Amino acid sequence: MNRLLVLGVNVLVVSALLVVYGFLVGESGLVGVGFSASILGGVLAVYSTIPQDPSVVALVNYSSLLLNAVTSVLEDLGLLDPQVCAIRRGDVTLLVYSETPCPLEVDPGVGFSGGSPYLAIPTSTPSTLYEATGESTSTLLERSLTALLVDEFSVCKGVRVEEEAGQYVVYITGLADVSKQFLERPLDPYTLLVLTVSSGVLAATCVRLIERRISPDGVLVVLRAEKSGAEG
Amino acid sequence: MERRVSILVLVYAFLVVLSIISLYGLSEKRVDVYVSLNILTYYVSYAIVRPTYTSRYVKALNILLFIVFAIIVSYRVYEVLST
Repeated sequence: MNRLLVLGVNVLVVSALLVVYGFLVGESGLVGVGFSASILGGVLAVYSTIPQDPSVVALVNYSSLLLNAVTSVLEDLGLLDPQVCAIRRGDVTLLVYSETPCPLEVDPGVGFSGGSPYLAIPTSTPSTLYEATGESTSTLLERSLTALLVDEFSVCKGVRVEEEAGQYVVYITGLADVSKQFLERPLDPYTLLVLTVSSGVLAATCVRLIERRISPDGVLVVLRAEKSGAEG
Repeated sequence: MERRVSILVLVYAFLVVLSIISLYGLSEKRVDVYVSLNILTYYVSYAIVRPTYTSRYVKALNILLFIVFAIIVSYRVYEVLST
């Protein structure tokens, strides 16, 4: 329970009493004031459900710690300019950073495939994926990304997906201030989430990141699904 | 609390109090005028401030307030057309 919730509940109680009093004395103006105040109290109570600063700050600090550790590993492996792919293994998607695109013979963690080092981060399939209902793949991907990035995580305000020559171009706009700071890292939440969701929606063995471009408006991510993948 | 949410709450509360005082001072007796003006105030505050974070409860609140506002407006339009 936080202060905004307490304030909202107090306003609701007072406004309810005002409404009752207004009905008893037959003063409809007071009833209107009471109802208006009750809406104010309700809005305050609802807005108390929004994540508070301490929890957001804690999440940012935790994410920064994780990113620092993973970036250090990438530096040691010489993978600061890597090929990034999402490789499906049943219910688990491996986000693979490697020198060669889409190495299939990889296990979670650090290893070597075909003589080249890789880092594979396991992720689970998000629960907000939509199932195909006759619409195009790009529309399905857009709906799934919007449900996850906009509705659930609120890391951006809009997502648009276009299919061009077998590649999927994802435009992410209205980036949240708290997650913008991670765009400068080799791992950023937008690319990782887009790759993970795309792996589930496109049902491809390997989804490869072709390009990532940061603009003042947002982020542009270009993907390609490679059904057979490439080894080592 | 996130800064934009704080600003939204302050702006909305201030405008609501202002509208309540104004309407009561004008001896307005219709309850739906108070409610509809409050809802309009909320949407204006939300549109101007646009908080970064929301929750599913906030989205549900937005939809609910819109439905209430639509019902009030529809009733008043019906009243006008039926006279």
